[in-house]
Amino acid sequence: MNIQVSREDLLKQLGYKEPPQPRLLDMVVEMLGLLEGLVEPRLTLKEIQDEEDLPPFFAGSVLKYAGAATLGPKLEDKVKDLFDEGKAADGYILDTAGSIAMTKAGNVLWDEIRQNAAAKGFRRGLRRTPGCRGVELETQKWIFEKLVDRDPRISLTASYMMIPRKSLSFLARFGGKWQGTFSCKSCPQYSDCSLRG
Amino acid sequence: MDIIKEIYDAVMEGKVEDAASRVQQALNSKTEVNDILNKGLIAAMDVVGERFGEGELFIPQVLWSAKAMQAGMELLKPHFSAKDSTGKGTVVIGTAKGDIHDIGKNLVAIMLEGSGYNVADLGVEVTPERFIEKAVEVKADVIAVSALLTTTMQSMGEVVSLIKAKKLPFKVIIGGAPVDQAFCQEIGADAYGMDAADGLRKIKGLLGR
Repeated sequence: MNIQVSREDLLKQLGYKEPPQPRLLDMVVEMLGLLEGLVEPRLTLKEIQDEEDLPPFFAGSVLKYAGAATLGPKLEDKVKDLFDEGKAADGYILDTAGSIAMTKAGNVLWDEIRQNAAAKGFRRGLRRTPGCRGVELETQKWIFEKLVDRDPRISLTASYMMIPRKSLSFLARFGGKWQGTFSCKSCPQYSDCSLRG
Repeated sequence: MDIIKEIYDAVMEGKVEDAASRVQQALNSKTEVNDILNKGLIAAMDVVGERFGEGELFIPQVLWSAKAMQAGMELLKPHFSAKDSTGKGTVVIGTAKGDIHDIGKNLVAIMLEGSGYNVADLGVEVTPERFIEKAVEVKADVIAVSALLTTTMQSMGEVVSLIKAKKLPFKVIIGGAPVDQAFCQEIGADAYGMDAADGLRKIKGLLGR
């Protein structure tokens, strides 16, 4: 899978609406070149057949998935190296490019799940990531236990953070009546969230 | 051109080598060290912070400027005799217990160092007890705690509670995506930094320097 981050996307994410000074532009181009050789995207999804001991998010759903995506460890190792070498601006730009790539990888995974669901006759679905309101962070453990036979190449810390850090996971549900009572709109990260589905 | 203005410009433009060479030049010509620091390095970094806050500059440029300022500061250090190099204060910084996301924390640490503060960076997943222990050890003025997730920001309140329980003199500033002023007030922290530059501004405000 080829995850592309454009110069325009990266500059926008860094805050630049107008073309920046040549020195910065050169750095952006250099970091995008580095990024290509550092990301090793791996997408993992699984349809959940269980009907018991499910996270509450799945209550009443007909079709259920667990999914995870990672960019692999090389990217964050390089970001750390750059910060350690005193090249903080380079490190920050590369990390930002990685965040964009991560969002794109997550969207590719979500598209795959939606296509899978569409083939089974389901068109509209919801996805939520652990830590979102209504999905306890501890759900990470459940997700990765379900995905372990697919080798997602993501491990969890004791506090359920994912390693590599440029990783994401989510639950997806299709069909049935959504029984959630929480509202994403009250979440402090609502405006920046790309995982609402 | 006035050497102080050249130092100021080098920091503004984030030119590390220029900043260092101009500071050295100023030292060689017996320019007042306090003028180099306050009218050159700090004055420029203050403007960089303001322009960042106003959306005229962005993080990469701020980091360049911080690095340029740091290069100049290194040359000035031997000329200060106070217990800490500039007398600006000491900040203990780290990410909240359970949180491994450190980019924001690293940016704040770089900007603090660039602005002349002593920084004790504890890294990631720092327990409230460790923050306190380090702050006592280095006689810190401020403890800065960063969190990316709503699930880890709760431990920020534990840092504040520990300080209050032990009647310690440390100020606490918090920052990170899920944190806001309301949460800051809720847990009784002293300040909330909306971003790295705002964090720096708030720490300056807390310390009055």
